[in-house]
Parts: sequence; C-alpha cells; structure tokens
Amino acid sequence: MPSSWKPCAAQDICFVPLPRIVRTASFRLSALYALLFGGCVLLLGAAAFWSTRSALEQQLSRRIEAEQALLEQEFRHNGIDGLVATVQQRTRVRGNLDYFVLDPAGKRLAGDLPGNPDRLGWVELPSGPDAGGDENSENETVHVLVKPLDGGYRLGVGEDIEQVGELEETFLGILASALGLVLVLGVGGGLLLSAAFLRRVDRITRTADAIIGGDLSRRIERTGSGDDFDHLSATLNAMLDRIAGLMENLRQVSNDIAHDLRTPLSRLRQDLEEAQKRDLDAADLKSVIESAVAEADVLLETFSALLRIAQIEAGTRRSAFRGVDLSDVLRTVAEAYAPAIEESGRALRVEIADGVRLSGDRGLLSQLFANLVENTLHHTPPGSTITLRLARQPACAVAEVADNGAGIPADERVKVLRRFYRLERSRTTPGSGLGLSTVAAIVELHHAAIELLDNEPGLRVVIRFPA
Amino acid sequence: MKVLLIEDDVKTTAYVKRGLEEHGHVVDTAPNGRDGLFLAAGETYDVMIVDRMLPGLDGLGIVKTVRAAGVTTPVLFLTTMGGIEDRVEGLEVGDDYLVKPFAFAELLARINALARRPPIAQVLTILRVADLEMDLIGRKVRRAGREIDLQPREFRLLEYLMRNAGRVVTRTMLLERVWEFHFEPRTNIVETHISRLRAKIDRGFDAELLETVRGSGYLLRAPA
Repeated sequence: MPSSWKPCAAQDICFVPLPRIVRTASFRLSALYALLFGGCVLLLGAAAFWSTRSALEQQLSRRIEAEQALLEQEFRHNGIDGLVATVQQRTRVRGNLDYFVLDPAGKRLAGDLPGNPDRLGWVELPSGPDAGGDENSENETVHVLVKPLDGGYRLGVGEDIEQVGELEETFLGILASALGLVLVLGVGGGLLLSAAFLRRVDRITRTADAIIGGDLSRRIERTGSGDDFDHLSATLNAMLDRIAGLMENLRQVSNDIAHDLRTPLSRLRQDLEEAQKRDLDAADLKSVIESAVAEADVLLETFSALLRIAQIEAGTRRSAFRGVDLSDVLRTVAEAYAPAIEESGRALRVEIADGVRLSGDRGLLSQLFANLVENTLHHTPPGSTITLRLARQPACAVAEVADNGAGIPADERVKVLRRFYRLERSRTTPGSGLGLSTVAAIVELHHAAIELLDNEPGLRVVIRFPA
Repeated sequence: MKVLLIEDDVKTTAYVKRGLEEHGHVVDTAPNGRDGLFLAAGETYDVMIVDRMLPGLDGLGIVKTVRAAGVTTPVLFLTTMGGIEDRVEGLEVGDDYLVKPFAFAELLARINALARRPPIAQVLTILRVADLEMDLIGRKVRRAGREIDLQPREFRLLEYLMRNAGRVVTRTMLLERVWEFHFEPRTNIVETHISRLRAKIDRGFDAELLETVRGSGYLLRAPA
C-alpha cells in the first residue's frame, strides 16, 4: 500500500494521507467486513476440504473392495495360477491399482506391492521403488486391503493415496489464493470506498471552512444523485440559507433602528443646543427642556419595545403562563379604550363571548389587544367603527379587531408585522413602528395564528388561539 | 421619611438622593449588597429602594435576606427596562417595582404610596375623603349624601385614589393597579377615565376633590 492515497487524479487538492483513510469509519467497516468474509471463506474451504477428502477416500476404498471381490472370484474359479496370471496382467498396465499375491510363506507370487504385512484388513504400506515405477513415489504410502485366500494365500489390493494428497494440495492452494483475493479486494474496496467518502466529506469541510473564513455565500456542491450525501448537503445548504436570512433580517433591523433613532436623537440634540443659548428666558427654557425630555422618552420607548419583543420572542415567558379569562381581558381593553374612542369621534362595537379561557400571560394578552385597538384608533378616520369580537369555536378561540377605515393593501399585510415597517401614508403619524411586531411576537408566544384580512372596507385582524 | 437606597450607579444615586432630600426625606445610600444589608439590618427605614442589578449580590437576594431577618420595611425594586420577567419576581418579594429609566415624580409617588400603606391587618370597610364616602362592602359611593352611580372600573379607579388620598398617584400606577396594564399605551386612556370620573364626583359640588398634578399624575384630597 502506498503511503498516501490519491483517490482522484483529476483533482489535485484531495491528497489524502493514508493514516487518515485508515482512520475513517468506512475504511474500518470495510476492513472488518473483509476479515469476516475471509473467515467465512476459510471455514467454508475447510468444510469442503474435509468432505471432499473423505468422499475421495471412501471412493478409493470402494474401488479396492470391488477389485478384491473380483480377484477372489477369479481365484475361486481358476485357482492360484489364474489369479497370479490376472494380477501380473493387471500390474503391467500402468496407472492401475497396486497388487500383491503372497504364498503361505509370505513370498510374493505376483504384483508390485512390496512388503509382507503381519495383519489382515486395511493396512498402510510404503510403496516400493518398483511400485508404480514413479521415482517420486518412494516415500509415499499405499492404502492396501489384505484378505486371506484358501490355502494360506493372501491377496492385497491397494492404491497409492498420493492422488488424494495431490488433490489436497491443489485444494489448499486454491483456498489460500481465494482468501488472499478476498482480503485484498476487501481492503482495497474499503480504501476506495473511504476515499470516495472522504472526498465528499472534504467537499463539505472545505465549504464550511470557506464560510468560517468569511465567504458566507458559499454553498455545498450537490451531485444531484439524491443519495444520503446529497440530502445532507441540501439540508446544510437550507440551514445556511436560513442563517443568512436571519442575519439579513438582523442587519435590516439594525439599519432600521439606526434610522428610526436618528430622528429623535437629532431633535434631542437640537433642543439641547437651543437650551444652551444664553438669551432664553425661564419659560422658553422650560419648554425646550420639556421637548428634549419628550424626545428622550420616544427613544426610550423604542428601546423598551425592542427589548420587550426580544424577550417575548425568547419564549421564556411561557413558564409563567396561567389560566387567563380572555373574555375579561378583551372586556377590560374595550372598557379602557371606550372613552378615548368615543371622544375621538369613532364608535366601538363589542361582541365578546363569555368565559373564554386559555393558558397565557394576562399582561401580554392585554397589551396585544390594546395595541390592535390603538392601531385602529391611529389609522382610521374619525367616524369609523371599531369592532372587538371574541367567539369560541370547536378547536379554537377567535378574537377579532376590525375597523372600516382605509385598510392595508393586500401585498403589505404581511410586511406590517415586521419591525419598524410602516405604510407610506403612516410615516408621519407618531409611533415606534413596533406595535404590530409586538402583537406578532405575543401571538407567536401563545402558539396562536394571526391573519390580516380585508374587512371591505377596512382591516380585520383575526387571531386564533388554540383551545 | 427615612429612605434606604441600594444602588451601584453613582449618577442615579445622586439624582435620587438629591430629589428625595429636596422633598424633605432623609436618604441613606449603599453602593452594593453587602453595605445595603448592613444598613438595612441596623437601622429602621420607612422605605427601601433596591436596584435589581447589583455587583455581587442580586437585589432580590438582599431583600429576601432582609425579610428573613424579620424586617418588613416596604421595598421598591428598580429594574432594567424591558425586564418584564423581573416584574413578577419583584412583586413577589418586594412591594412595588419601577422600570429604569424613570421620571422622578413616578418614584416619589410610588415611595409615598408604599410608606403610608396601611398595615394589612387593618381592614377598611368605608373610605372617606371630605364629604365623599365609599362603602367597600355595599359597593356604593356617596358625596354629600347623594348617591353616585359608578361603573365597576370607575369604582376601582376611585377606590385606588381614595386609598391614596392626599398623595399623588401617577398614570402608570393607575394603569397597573386599575387595568392591570403593564405597558405604556399611546392613547390617553387614563385621562379620559379621570375626566369621566371627575364629571361624576366633582361636577355639581362646591369643591373639587380630584386634582391633576401637571407632569406627575392625580391627587384626590379634601380641599384645604
């Protein structure tokens, strides 16, 4: 194995040193797999080896037994001379079985098997130099079946078990090379797999590094294969898009804050400069300072609203949720604003169902509806009717604040929930531009849904609280 | 009145101390929790003003320690703006809270209300200011013997004013106590309710009881 692995010649940068490959999970897995597979091959080979060997030996014995029976028959028919003649004839043909015919004294009458075994039945005999005529067969043993014949003769029929040995060797050779191949293929495949795996992980790492380095627009390249890596890349890209969106949002908000605070700050500065003049009389000075304090209050109110939204959005308030009588909250808001609404020349209609309860934060819910009512109060012409409704539906409680004023164009209805967003025509009306974002944050905190609808004419804000 | 101010910001401390002293109060100050605890345990105060954000020991912890030692002095917490969570904790441990930055009139009105809060044991059933009389059990209001018809919320508003008779109560105090609104509305809802209440309790009588204190709030009192 080379000390380094170059998985892709076309790409010059992905030069992965071997130790790292070896450390990858996929490599370890494939190595383990190769080892396991090798073990299996070994086991299977051993089983095949043993069964083949015993089958071969059995076959050999059967052949010898058959030959024995045949020769015994010859002996019974034609006597010892006939047997000797047949054995001599058979011995001459090479590659045949090996034989001996011994007289009662142990002298060989025919055949090429040496020796004079002292027992009957199966014996192992060394093959003599003349046996088989093979020079290499000197040390080999012959498997011989010795049987007694009438008249003290003995007949031996045997077979050189060298054949079985040769077969064994061949078999073991094949097994060893198969095993080697399996291991090489397993490890090699593992390396290839890990290299492919690493290449894709590296691609993700490089992208992440680039993003850490400051290039936030980078995204992970996708192969389009739809595999796990592709899915992962897509998910990571989506996450990056989301983060980028949030950052853009944050940047936008900071810009808006800066923009919205500049006006009261510069007015405050103007007032203070005015107060510095020496020729102001006490009354003028007082009014200038009052104006400065008012501007400071606007600034503080904006900050306070922003912090409040942030705190509501953090969601920690949910732990302080209690059972709240929403009907009472709406009624209190209606009651609180009724004189102001009437005095401004507008009308208030209240249609509130009794006993609608939910789990929430009473203070924030009051603020939610107060903000909505104030919005209608500031953005409708005198003579408008403001309607406050609360109804219980099977799966939710539906609260509604509606007016019959100018309404909001359909394409701007979602935008008004954003921080500092103001309709062009409302630029000049006082307010932080945070009222509806606060509403949106409180709605979200209560897992409710807000909808801005056309009241034909006017605006209808519908909030659905889960039951 | 003797006031203990536990506050680490030098400028705020000076501003509050000077303001309170101008109104004839005696002010002791402590820049941290340790000194504050020492003073609170050793002296008797009418009101304690405690900043929630102190170096070392948190304001809440100080008050808990002081209370555990049996000191029942009313406590007003100063909290940072937007700290809506502090409100709940502040009211559980202390008696009132005020969000920084605050107008001095607001602080003054609140500590006045705190210091003279009647002991809890003293249950009043009838409130009286000059010839104005409120029956808390019968839920009836009379002025010079003539019954005045009030809506429930107006009753609550008047009750709060009568309980604090002779002291200035601010808009914010009224919003919190009467409507439970813990935010600043952009609409003059308090003014509109006060003017309606005034129409009911003052119109047609020789003396006006409900005064508007410019830049501070409202004051219900018997005419001098």
